[in-house]
Amino acid sequence: MTELKYVGKYIPIHDAYEKVKGKLQYVADMEMDGMLHAKLLLSPIAHGVIKSIDVTKAEALPGVVKVYTYKNTPQNLYNSQKWHVGLEVVKDERLFTDKVRFVGDRVAAVVAKDKSIAEKAIELIEVQYQELPIVLDPEEALMEETIKIHDHGNVIMEKEISVGNVNEAMENAPIVVEDFVDTQKVHHAAMEPHICMTAIDSTNGLLTIWTPCQVVFQVRLIVAEALGLSLNRIRAIKTTVGGSFGGKGQPILEPVCAYFTYDLGVPVKLQLDRAETISSTRTRNATIGRVKTAVDKEGNILARDIDVLVDAGAYFTNGEAVTIAMGKKAFRLYDIKNQTYKGTAVYTNTPIAGACRGYGSPQIHALTEINIDNTAKKLGLDPVEFRLKNLVKPYAKDPTGGPELGNARVIDCLLKGMEVFDWKSKYNRPKATGRFVKGVGMACATHGSGYYNAYPDFITMDLRVTEDGEAILKASLHDLGCGTIVTIKQIVAEVLDINPDKILVPEADTLVSPFDSAGTQASRVTFVCGAAAKKTAELVKEKFTKHSADILKCNIDDILYKDGFILNKNNPQAMVSYGDMVMLIQTSLKEDISVSYTYKSPANPAVYGVNFAEVEIDTYTGLVRVIDIVAVHDIGKAINPVFVEGQVQGAIQMGIGFALTEEIVIDNKGNVKSNNFSKYHVINAPDMPDVKVHLIEAGEEFGPFGAKSVGEVSTVPIAPAIINGINHALDINITSLPATPEKILAALNNKKNLIGG
Amino acid sequence: MEMEFNVNGIKHILEVDPMERLLDVLRNKLKLTGAKEGCGEGECGACTIILDGVAINSCIVLAAQAAGREILTIESLEKDGELDRLQKAFINNGAVQCGYCTPGMLMSCKALLMKNPAPTEEEIKTAIEGNLCRCTGYTKIIKAVKEAVKDI
Ligand code: FES
Ligand code: FES
Repeated sequence: MTELKYVGKYIPIHDAYEKVKGKLQYVADMEMDGMLHAKLLLSPIAHGVIKSIDVTKAEALPGVVKVYTYKNTPQNLYNSQKWHVGLEVVKDERLFTDKVRFVGDRVAAVVAKDKSIAEKAIELIEVQYQELPIVLDPEEALMEETIKIHDHGNVIMEKEISVGNVNEAMENAPIVVEDFVDTQKVHHAAMEPHICMTAIDSTNGLLTIWTPCQVVFQVRLIVAEALGLSLNRIRAIKTTVGGSFGGKGQPILEPVCAYFTYDLGVPVKLQLDRAETISSTRTRNATIGRVKTAVDKEGNILARDIDVLVDAGAYFTNGEAVTIAMGKKAFRLYDIKNQTYKGTAVYTNTPIAGACRGYGSPQIHALTEINIDNTAKKLGLDPVEFRLKNLVKPYAKDPTGGPELGNARVIDCLLKGMEVFDWKSKYNRPKATGRFVKGVGMACATHGSGYYNAYPDFITMDLRVTEDGEAILKASLHDLGCGTIVTIKQIVAEVLDINPDKILVPEADTLVSPFDSAGTQASRVTFVCGAAAKKTAELVKEKFTKHSADILKCNIDDILYKDGFILNKNNPQAMVSYGDMVMLIQTSLKEDISVSYTYKSPANPAVYGVNFAEVEIDTYTGLVRVIDIVAVHDIGKAINPVFVEGQVQGAIQMGIGFALTEEIVIDNKGNVKSNNFSKYHVINAPDMPDVKVHLIEAGEEFGPFGAKSVGEVSTVPIAPAIINGINHALDINITSLPATPEKILAALNNKKNLIGG
Repeated sequence: MEMEFNVNGIKHILEVDPMERLLDVLRNKLKLTGAKEGCGEGECGACTIILDGVAINSCIVLAAQAAGREILTIESLEKDGELDRLQKAFINNGAVQCGYCTPGMLMSCKALLMKNPAPTEEEIKTAIEGNLCRCTGYTKIIKAVKEAVKDI
């Protein structure tokens, strides 16, 4: 293989320079002439019907332009999850509701000359509710038939995925280990709160939306459905995103803000504060899981039975999709011949769940990987050895008929991590007997690389070599801070041998970007969009070569590319620069060196991550300190290794929070108690351990230069690895996330009582 | 009320509301939008600026409290078209992802280096303990500060 010039190297994120200077504009920094500011009135109760709304006092406040409620806004139903027009999903959201379903539901909005007037006016809106009984607990939602959050009942869906014969295998198994694991709702905690700005563009009359989003075509679609407008009247522009992690994936503010502008004809900005972002946008789905694993005495998994109840919150959004996605992962990590997954999703009167980094994988793996450790313990096996016996091998089949696993290198990850972490000696060392006790844990995880086999997964790209020898790639790409733009440039640069600095890759804008079916979701960007960029660049090069041969009057095979020049290898003296060649081709052949290509993803290979964690617990307080982490990833090929490390390190920060500190705590009235960062504990620098990242780069057939995904899988194994470490240290069985000091102390007490009694 | 303060070496005399936050005055009146708002409650550090040599959260300080004092914002770090060594180190080490925490993070680190030109890793971590970052896991930020210090 020829040496790579740009791929595999570190190039900083495209806007790093502007970001460190504080000059890059986020939506909060954007101003427009005559712009108004909107503020939402969110429901203070968890369930009830609006009996009356009196907005007269609010409207009378000087500076208030208009107050909106369900009475004067479109009542078209939509589902903010719908990113593609062909997606059949239950529509249960509206711009403003007449029946509130959680504390934080949209009741009204004030649009005013400035933010403080809007805030004051909100206080003047008088709403009378007829309160309804509430259902907060998903298990109660399952049973409860009289309290209906939506007319169609509280159970959103039930789905079973099954292979082999689980019952028979369970009955005959010598050992069966059962666990119950629950996971909590968490906040994405992107540092930029939700925000959106809209205006009618006077140059073309389009209703234009500036939004830190993940899928511009989804924004356009949802606004069109909610407002009842044609797609062509709307333009969605992706702005700089101050973090998303799935939280800004579903258009939440966009249709609302767009309607204000549509109605008033002027620019409007709608910005949430932190408390509103925590309680009224989206959360990770909470789950209650049960798992039973049957093994033989040698440690081979014979069968597994999984049952997960998913809390979708007050609206449907992706409740069904995430429940199914969760289940599919259970069949792609271990070689299990007999397995059943049953997923059920319910509504509750709690904040709405949505996409969140890992999309169900952190929840299902918390359940299964804690159970794998408990099963190993029952067998008297080292949990690593137990896993090694059962993990999938490269090119294993998905037993459910799902997409090929591809070059699945989880075993390589495990072996590498075991060695770097020095697992054996740490796992077997004697436990301390004093106040502070150390332990080690590990976990494996899998995730996907796109939507192939589930949803439409294609993207169109336009690539052109310019008259001065540079290149421009137009595609609907959204950089969420992960380095997407540079990654794509590196791929194109490698194929065309043009310096990445000379390639312009503007971000997504529905007016100028060619269509893309799915946006920045599902860990598809590097694997699918990257492969699309590579293929498009190859086609451009083919065209360039063909026409260059015409110009140089030689065979196609004689054309060589060298340091920005094109030459005929039989006459190497006559070198023509890219720019001059484009000019010659335009002039004599009337041809343009450009290609528009629609790439359809042909695969969705599994990716794997294995984490090893060392923890130390203060047995007096129950506080856990994560001391050391080794994260190994089966990535195929790192296009930009520093970006990859950054993804993994950030994902681990999120995963430690999921394991130990982060929880959207809801009281018995449905209020979010942890609605600010003093009560919602995001891991900060002193609490963050050293994270050592190792990559297995064994290549993946359809990935660009062999690359597959990493951004989501990297947040999956860490929580069960930590929980397993705590359980290893203290010889307890924590199965409820987050592992708060209270839960740990209770488990320790329990153990003492058991031993004492 | 009228107030006078020095921002990035320039004297400003402004008419401010006594209840106006310093962050809003910087962002809205002086158009220095580098400092961001992530929580408005002194819990995230996105709004960090340097007031008389100390890194503070400008969202929980009234503009009036800054009267007669000296403020440095992220916009002051670049000098004559040359980035501060901290800014360069952030770029070179992949310490910037979404960038929303970056200005605040840089100002906390700048305040640290102004007082302590050779901080230990622990001191760096303490200096940014009030600056939350959701993207990087802090690892590369700490590495960047260490590199910037090494260059001195
Ligand atoms: S915005 Fe000031 S600390 Fe968060
Ligand atoms: S880079 Fe995104 S929050 Fe720090």
